[in-house]
Amino acid sequence: MSARARIARPPDLVVPVLLLWALGSPPAWSDEPANDVREGLALYISQQCWQCHGYEGQGGVAGVRLAPTRLPYEAFARLVRFTNLMPAYSPKVLGDEQLRLIYAYVRSIPEPPALEEIPELDFD
Amino acid sequence: MKPDKQPHSAPSDREEPARVNRREFVSSAVAAGLAAAGAGAAGTASARQAAGDAQAPGALPPTAAQEAMESEIPDGYTAGQAREYFVSNPGSDFMLDVIRRLGLEYIATNPGSSFRGLQESIVNYGGNQAPELLTCVHEEQAVAMAHGYYKVNGKPMGVLCHGTVGLQHAAMAVYNAWCDRAPMMLLAGNHLDAAERRAGVEWSHSAQDCVRVIRDYIKWDDMPVSLQHYAESMARGLKIAMTPPAGPVAVVLDGHLQEAEAGEQDLGPIAVSLNRPPAGDEAAVAEAARMLLEAESPVIVADLMARDQEGVERLVALAEALQAPVVNQFGRMNFPNTHYLSQGATAVAQADVVLGLELFDVWGVINTVRDRVHRDSVRKARPDARVISIGSNDLFTKSNYQNFQRFYPSDLSIAGDAQATLPLLTEAVLSGMSPARRAGNSAREARLREAHSLARGQALDDARYGWNAIPVSTARLYAELWQVAKDRDWALVSDDGAQSRWARRLWPIDRHYRYIGRSGGAGLGYGAPAAVGAALAHRPEGRFAINVQKDGDMMYTPGAFWTAAYHGIPLLTVTHNNQGYHQEYMHLQRMAARRQRGIESSWRVGNELRNPDIDLAGIARATGVWAEGPVLDPADLGPALARAAEVVDGGEPAFVDVRCQPR
Repeated sequence: MSARARIARPPDLVVPVLLLWALGSPPAWSDEPANDVREGLALYISQQCWQCHGYEGQGGVAGVRLAPTRLPYEAFARLVRFTNLMPAYSPKVLGDEQLRLIYAYVRSIPEPPALEEIPELDFD
Repeated sequence: MKPDKQPHSAPSDREEPARVNRREFVSSAVAAGLAAAGAGAAGTASARQAAGDAQAPGALPPTAAQEAMESEIPDGYTAGQAREYFVSNPGSDFMLDVIRRLGLEYIATNPGSSFRGLQESIVNYGGNQAPELLTCVHEEQAVAMAHGYYKVNGKPMGVLCHGTVGLQHAAMAVYNAWCDRAPMMLLAGNHLDAAERRAGVEWSHSAQDCVRVIRDYIKWDDMPVSLQHYAESMARGLKIAMTPPAGPVAVVLDGHLQEAEAGEQDLGPIAVSLNRPPAGDEAAVAEAARMLLEAESPVIVADLMARDQEGVERLVALAEALQAPVVNQFGRMNFPNTHYLSQGATAVAQADVVLGLELFDVWGVINTVRDRVHRDSVRKARPDARVISIGSNDLFTKSNYQNFQRFYPSDLSIAGDAQATLPLLTEAVLSGMSPARRAGNSAREARLREAHSLARGQALDDARYGWNAIPVSTARLYAELWQVAKDRDWALVSDDGAQSRWARRLWPIDRHYRYIGRSGGAGLGYGAPAAVGAALAHRPEGRFAINVQKDGDMMYTPGAFWTAAYHGIPLLTVTHNNQGYHQEYMHLQRMAARRQRGIESSWRVGNELRNPDIDLAGIARATGVWAEGPVLDPADLGPALARAAEVVDGGEPAFVDVRCQPR
């Protein structure tokens, strides 16, 4: 298969879709509509946000943690548009509505288990 | 005849209490190998071979014909015919005597005809013991093995290469070793005398100056034209390689010298003669102590500093005397991350005096270049921060390759080995400390203990994010690995930089041998073979060596796992398999965003390692290594690692492929 042929192939959504199914409906504290969350997840994958921020927005050395977030949309958008923390995504490559949907997905990501519930992180 | 001048009929190593007849030496080596195998020890390849591996070449007792050849003309031959057909005292035996006297325990090699004489001497004359040949399937792996081996036990390894094709294969790994200050003896076979070359390949594999391809990034080389010349150059090369800043050296082994009669040679002057590492100037050290004592917020930054545990303890002593935070850049394991003075890199921003110890990049500690359209520089440190730099960088460097980094005019530069200089500096600090300064230490200690505790808590908290993610988060990878490491005498033989530094953040790295540091030149293909070399160095100590292996890096040099299996080197390899060249993906993303083109549909091109997915566990199995995977569900990871650990406990390598989040 040529490299160009591969471009046309849709992104591999198997894992994130499974993740979404696992998540089910958005958490109670999230007021994002379910459809927005699903579309936002698709964009989060296709726009490659996961490459630096992880599938669950957990962050790491390559990108800051995104989720769970209490950032208002305006602050989140500013992080994406005008930043020294990551390549600036202009509206030309990521429209305002797309960005809003990604925000909806990030807002829907629930808290991870508490530290006390993870014995593997007991280093004492 | 002088006492030490003799036809070298037996290895005469100064460290050996008694001379051993070469044939007795070989026989005893075989017997020792058998005994080791019988005792169930993990053993060397020789022991394994002697235990009955009929397919593997090993140290065999001499045949009657071989023994007779050494002392008499074989039956049925005239003296002239014997001279035509047989060599009783080959030059490469003397070469091996020199290698043994210099104490090289291992020689990593991919076999080549340009050193067939020395190879025969090692396996038959030397019994493949001290040095033992390590069979590698690529010279890049052989060099990286030597690199990893040195970083664990501080001993140089020999690497035997074809002078032409072998050194070209080896070049990338040599560059990594150069950047990382890892010494080794590169031994390059070559046929200089054109009149004696066999037609064909021997010409293609010969060069006027075969070391030229790597000369920009080795410390020294020579092309000896006699055996005495060779002996002295080997001793000189070892001395140069080990002198800080340490690095690789190369000695060319002429094919004719290896294969012809040695004649009388003098082994007497050949001995290990190493320089003591140079300490910094006493007056400059006193000035550094004064600056540190006058500082309100001194910070120590260490990179390629500690050679061993003594280096770690020296830095602990200085840091505690000053109650100064230490930022470990982990080029080496310089400072325990369990110590309350171990602090994050942001500590530099608060410093009024920065003490840099063997920094790879002094400028980069103080400043940064932003990766934007206009690459502007930004100072990270305080405007008034002064910098003291102690290191051996300026004692030896070269021009072409730019690994020396951007120039920074330190306020006080001390040329010298930092580990050797630390006791002088600590003594000067302690003797110059005023009562008021000493009284302030307890407040510093309390503040830094709190900061260390907070950072520790933050790391544990951060690790839970993405805990149940599929594929596995890199934090969980290290947390699950810790479950098999914590009750063993573990050593991480890989760098965790691509895994969000989770080992450094989560694991208690409290001894020098726990962490190996980075590759030096960041050239791919380092990980697997360096880990195998490091695991070989850990083997006599019975340590549990762990390699977190990046998938892209692994695909350069997967044959290293075969070497681990063949030589019975216990090593747990766990992949950080993100199915791509993720670093390059991020660069593509940056370019596409900057040009407002996006990468929604193009990110895969040139970066992904899937479609088809690479069966990394299958590759490991094909090299003879026990393997599992790919593991996708984090819930499956712990049991897989436990099974692999059992294999490693049995003295063999094991491999678990884990599909992970990108970083």
